[in-house]
Amino acid sequence: MQVDPAGGTEMSIATKPAEPALVGRSPGQLMWRRFRRDRIGVVSALVVAFFFLIGLLAPVISALYGKDPYTRYGQIQPGLLNEYGYPIKPNGGMDGEFWFGLEPSTGRDVFTELLYGIRTSLFIALAVTVLAVLTAIVLGIAAGYLGGVWDFLISRLTDLLMAFPQQLFFVAFLPITTSLFVDPREETPVWIKVVSIIVVLWALGWMTLGRILRGVTLSLREREFVEAAKVSGASPWRIIRKELLPNTVSPILVQATYMLPSFVTTAAALSFLGVGITEPTPDWGRMFATAAAVYRSDITYMFFPGVSLVIFVVAFNLLGDAVRDAFDPKTVR
Amino acid sequence: MTTETAETQPAPAGTRTPLMTAEGLTKYFPVRGGFPIKRTVGAVHAVDGLDFTVHEGESFGLVGESGCGKSTTGRLLARLLEPSGGTLTYRDRDITHASRRELAPIRSEIQMIFQDPYSSLNPRQTVGTIIGGPMEINGIRPPGGRAARVRELLETVGLNPEHYNRFPHEFSGGQRQRIGVARALALEPRLIVADEPVSALDVSIQAQVVNLLRKVQEELGIAFLFIAHDLAVVRHFSQRIAVMYLGKIVEVGDREAIHQRPRHPYTHALLSAVPEVALEHPDGTPAEPPRERIRLQGDVPSPTDPPSGCRFRTRCWKAQDLCAEQEPPLVRIEGNAEGHLTACHFPEAGTTLAADRPEPVLPAPVEP
Repeated sequence: MQVDPAGGTEMSIATKPAEPALVGRSPGQLMWRRFRRDRIGVVSALVVAFFFLIGLLAPVISALYGKDPYTRYGQIQPGLLNEYGYPIKPNGGMDGEFWFGLEPSTGRDVFTELLYGIRTSLFIALAVTVLAVLTAIVLGIAAGYLGGVWDFLISRLTDLLMAFPQQLFFVAFLPITTSLFVDPREETPVWIKVVSIIVVLWALGWMTLGRILRGVTLSLREREFVEAAKVSGASPWRIIRKELLPNTVSPILVQATYMLPSFVTTAAALSFLGVGITEPTPDWGRMFATAAAVYRSDITYMFFPGVSLVIFVVAFNLLGDAVRDAFDPKTVR
Repeated sequence: MTTETAETQPAPAGTRTPLMTAEGLTKYFPVRGGFPIKRTVGAVHAVDGLDFTVHEGESFGLVGESGCGKSTTGRLLARLLEPSGGTLTYRDRDITHASRRELAPIRSEIQMIFQDPYSSLNPRQTVGTIIGGPMEINGIRPPGGRAARVRELLETVGLNPEHYNRFPHEFSGGQRQRIGVARALALEPRLIVADEPVSALDVSIQAQVVNLLRKVQEELGIAFLFIAHDLAVVRHFSQRIAVMYLGKIVEVGDREAIHQRPRHPYTHALLSAVPEVALEHPDGTPAEPPRERIRLQGDVPSPTDPPSGCRFRTRCWKAQDLCAEQEPPLVRIEGNAEGHLTACHFPEAGTTLAADRPEPVLPAPVEP
């Protein structure tokens, strides 16, 4: 092919006026554009959004569906459970009426139970994540920016808490925390159980992010743009807010998206061990506890909470990676 | 990079008004060590008793090798560091230990340009936010709005105003440094501390940025404390030059005095280290007489334990017992022009030509 020099210059002239059209985009728009290009990220965001949506809309969905997670349908309606308490129909009693089957022995509806279980678990995990992230931001940035005695105190506290055996601590301290609110002889209201789970998970949940933020702040503090802000007379508060915090967004977001699913699984593990959410409140982890007892005879009861939990955790972690990539202006895809 | 001297001549000494004066300016960084309890075991004498004045509208160059305290001096002047001793006077106001609130009214008048254009711009902020930030902090509302002023500044430093919403990572090193210059100009300062503003840049870009700074200095009448280790750049940009060695000023004077009639041996050594292009006449004879060549031996002594007396004596070929006993004062010695001060007991003759140097300073390196 012949290269026409005139054509070449025409080309460059033609592309010139396009340059002023490169109107700057706001940081949010840029992040959104990068995120939308990431297919895995978009799909996992949809999956995660779906889970939050069904958690949020659990009452609406179950009202439309016409069941609730507390009624023992298997015991009321004859012909659903056999004399050993297992669903008579195959696949855990799945049919047009009970989409995901029935819980063995109690005969509750699995579909609504799972909806409400997701709702409980996500609420707890979200609350713990928000609290832990806020704590980590305050303590981590304080340690990194103030330094000296503050850094020493906060870092030693972090070390101390990290040295705790977490699961043992949770099992040991949940009853204690609960008894702070309620006399052990009385029946514990559900909300107090939820609050004490949140408090205990929060107390041991913020350290990793706190350490990361301390390190990030330490390195950012020495950067020249912080000095530039100081030369302009910026207050420490403004420097933290405008110069440091925006640069900690990606570690915070990434860590938070790893923290939330891990809190879901930890809360589930606590329910499984019997110290978390207990009968009859629906909960993801409590369903596992029941499922573990019956899985030899009725694997279907473990299938739905198990698969949904795996999908949720994987999607959430992939979302975290995608968000990090989108926030990093240097990412080129 | 061109080494031709700037056209602007320094104003006559009598008419210059001092802008920033340092007297005995000192900064020691404590060295902490020991186990298990850390305690202060010594101090790095980064800056040790500097006396100098930057006048209104003047470019004051500060040169010296790495680690001699140039950058510390710049940060002390910008009050990013707390001086350990001495006084800093800015327009008859003592700002040595002024707090952030006390400094607020003059913060807009002293700005800084940083060495590393990759770390001096917040990667999460747009160019508009970076340049507009100082105005926001100081509550300045220029006519037409801050955004318009930022676009104007972008144009001043030779960038496209359309770049307002771009991020620093979308720019090259030279462009980033221009953004840094625009940020420093945003508050219409009287003094800009330029801490090696071109050291991190490509040589071709260095010239552009230096010329931009010169344009800014001449058109806006801003005084500069210009820190560099490249003598050619400083010569191009600064009317007065101070030479630092190990936390002290060893020689200060007008550009011509320092470059053509240096007296301190260290200044000689520095000048002789500038690479020289041997220009020749068509017949092969050198166009310019060759300059002297001085190779300093050894390393810079540790600033935690500087030598007694004259700090340069450990590497000086003229050092005698007196140099270890007495610290030479920074004074106008015999034969110096006005304002040319040298701290040396045994100053060199005021020439930089090889022909005028009587004996070879050091034995020639042994060829293998």
